Amino acid sequence: MKAYLTTALAAMLAVVATPVLAKDVINVAIIGEPDTLDPMVSTKDVVSIVTQHVVETLYTFDKSWAVAPLLAQDLPKISADGKTYDITLRQGITFSDGSKMDSADVVASLERWLKVASRGKTVADKVQSVTAKGPYEVEIKMKTPYAPLLSLLAFSNSAAAVYPSEIIPKGDGQIKDVVGTGPYKYGEHVPDQYLQLVRFDGFVPRKEPANGGSGKRGQVPDEIRFVPVPDPSTRVEGLLSGQFDFADSLPAESYDRIAASDKAKPVLLENFGWPMWAINHKAGLLTNKKIREALLAALPFDDMLFAAFGNDKFFKVDGAMYPKGWDWHTDAGTKLYNQNDPEKAQQLLKEAGYDGTPLRILTSRQYEFHYKMAEVAKQALEAAGFKVQMDVVDWATLGQRRDDPSLWDVYISHSPFLPEPALTDMWFASSRLGWSEPEKDKLAEAFVTETDPAKRKAIFAELQKKNYEDVGFIKIGNFNALLGESKALQGVDPSPWPYFWNASKK
Amino acid sequence: MRNYILKRLFGMVVVVFLVLTIAFVLVRLAPGDPAALMLGPDATPADTAALRARLGLDQPILIQYVTFIGHALRGDLGRSLFFNEPVLSVLAHRAEPTAFLALFSLLFSVAIAVPIGIFVAYRRGTVADQTAVSGAMLAASVPSFWTGLILQRWLATDLGWFPASGYGGPDASFLDRMGYLILPSFVLGIVNSALILRFCRASMLDVLGEDYIRTARSKGMSESRVVLRHALKNAAIPIVTVIGLTFALLVSGAVVTERVFNIPGMGNLVVGAVLRRDYPVIQGTLIVVATLYILINLGVDLLYLLIDRRVRY
Repeated sequence: MKAYLTTALAAMLAVVATPVLAKDVINVAIIGEPDTLDPMVSTKDVVSIVTQHVVETLYTFDKSWAVAPLLAQDLPKISADGKTYDITLRQGITFSDGSKMDSADVVASLERWLKVASRGKTVADKVQSVTAKGPYEVEIKMKTPYAPLLSLLAFSNSAAAVYPSEIIPKGDGQIKDVVGTGPYKYGEHVPDQYLQLVRFDGFVPRKEPANGGSGKRGQVPDEIRFVPVPDPSTRVEGLLSGQFDFADSLPAESYDRIAASDKAKPVLLENFGWPMWAINHKAGLLTNKKIREALLAALPFDDMLFAAFGNDKFFKVDGAMYPKGWDWHTDAGTKLYNQNDPEKAQQLLKEAGYDGTPLRILTSRQYEFHYKMAEVAKQALEAAGFKVQMDVVDWATLGQRRDDPSLWDVYISHSPFLPEPALTDMWFASSRLGWSEPEKDKLAEAFVTETDPAKRKAIFAELQKKNYEDVGFIKIGNFNALLGESKALQGVDPSPWPYFWNASKK
Repeated sequence: MRNYILKRLFGMVVVVFLVLTIAFVLVRLAPGDPAALMLGPDATPADTAALRARLGLDQPILIQYVTFIGHALRGDLGRSLFFNEPVLSVLAHRAEPTAFLALFSLLFSVAIAVPIGIFVAYRRGTVADQTAVSGAMLAASVPSFWTGLILQRWLATDLGWFPASGYGGPDASFLDRMGYLILPSFVLGIVNSALILRFCRASMLDVLGEDYIRTARSKGMSESRVVLRHALKNAAIPIVTVIGLTFALLVSGAVVTERVFNIPGMGNLVVGAVLRRDYPVIQGTLIVVATLYILINLGVDLLYLLIDRRVRY
């Protein structure tokens, strides 16, 4: 009896003494509800941010945006003619549904990517075959060399994601329950309220140290909760009140308030992206090169950026397509950037025989900086002799109208700096801009087929120069993004597509 | 009475059908392409066209309308283009926060407005009366998003008394979720209390001048009995009407408040649906809201029977 009581007492004490381990949860405020959990079928950043924790690709990008292996063992062996890619897969990788990953899954996934993904389709006509050469060997054969292929395979946006072949639907149907090989798997999802990611215990991390998206994905937090918060002020309040550990895409004017907080700190993501004026080369006023040159000459880029971002902490007047520090950086052609020369523009309009047809600027207030830039530009363009028609619509309408070349001359958008210039489709005649010029088209073709990195860099410099000379599209400058994180949070690299697998709280 | 209810229900069917048709036409008259929004900024025109075809948006509008009506008659309001689930299920998920937000804010409104309205009507012309009337004017004039932002910053961010936004995570209990609604309900309650207070005051003023109130006083009744038993009962019909209308408006989606506090209710849903051009959700929300509005009005009309026995239908 005594022994029984002693045992029972010991057991009770053990229960009392055992600490209840609190779950380590990272709460992340994102700008909206992801409309799909399948990154293959969407080019939205919010989809990439969430899904990269669950679904993986063969390759990824490291901190310096160089391609690095992820599900592939190493970088592929590329044949001398640049047409054959031999890919060896990592072994022992498991999907979160328990099945093992092998070459059949990769082949089925890549075939779907070529068929349904926007970025996959851009390369589909250049791919001859995707074949399993063994249980962990895949071969991609190209009809012509295509240098951006690895970047496309590494990108988390319209991603060449690897799924179990069993869940891939025939035709262009949707995947019902997305599973992947990533460090987390989908938990509970209440649309517009939260999306819970829970640690995937069968995950096999890479051995290399973490380096950007590459290397070890640590599975540090037990859970990551993405909370869609469409209103930027609400994201700020949630961050400052301690409700969120990380908040994406915050308004520039909240910088000082966040900096003064004892709970959170601002994170400035320098050279996040570039606002652009997309030019209609298919129809309308700007099919006339002289008028395009007048447009470029008249625009006051510095004033536009100041109006858009209000504080030079958030922008840089820079005409190079890639900022200093990137491999792709070049100043070729940039002497035509920020001319701010109304007299020259007037002269060019005269030479073009401009008849006062309004220049239709299609823009939206979804991104207030687009609209502010347009307002400043309108005055400068009118001073230079343009008649300007501002078509201010909501984002949905802009998305629809820009597909009809009869409805606009310029539309305003922006892009992050993408790791590979060829991922920006505006360089190519097939884009909705329809920018086609014999010499430029030849350069664009050479750029994607050349496999020597040094030669590609030289061709890109020529392309950038050509963009200024022919006014293909207009880069307004560089801008920084403002993010915010809890002072207790560590291990998050600033990125346009932030990830949290190595994040922890002090 | 039964005939009256049946007549009202028949009227409701006609109104809902009209709402259904108007909603269908209006959302399609608005420019904007749901397929382009769903695919993201880098989708090609060909991808967008393919998705439009898959969603049935490339069909002639008449065929879309007939299909929609046919499904609606069978109780199927279609599938959300964005969430890819039935509209009724999407709406059902949003019902809890919106219903409780409406209920709590109505309770706040009534708790603030009715006692003050009665008191200031009784003390007509005093400083208290003028202060209450001016306060009500101010509360009605200040936009609810402004009140929401100020109180959110002060009470949630700075003082930490309430959660700043949202409706709780996976581990939130029912009580936790209700905790998220206190501050938004208070914000919404303040705005709506202005209207109820003014109606309550005006209605009480009308009644307090009636002969039967004088008679009651001359019979030696206490003032509290005169005001609360005789005056309030007779002033109740306009007050109940305005409370009913306020509740119907609240249920139809406290759009701005839900947005500011990021509450996943019907108001937030419909704003998102408009921005995403999620036609079935917009249509479904309008139909559900119209039905609720009519039912609440019917409920209020039937409540008159309890309040005033002279009322006959």
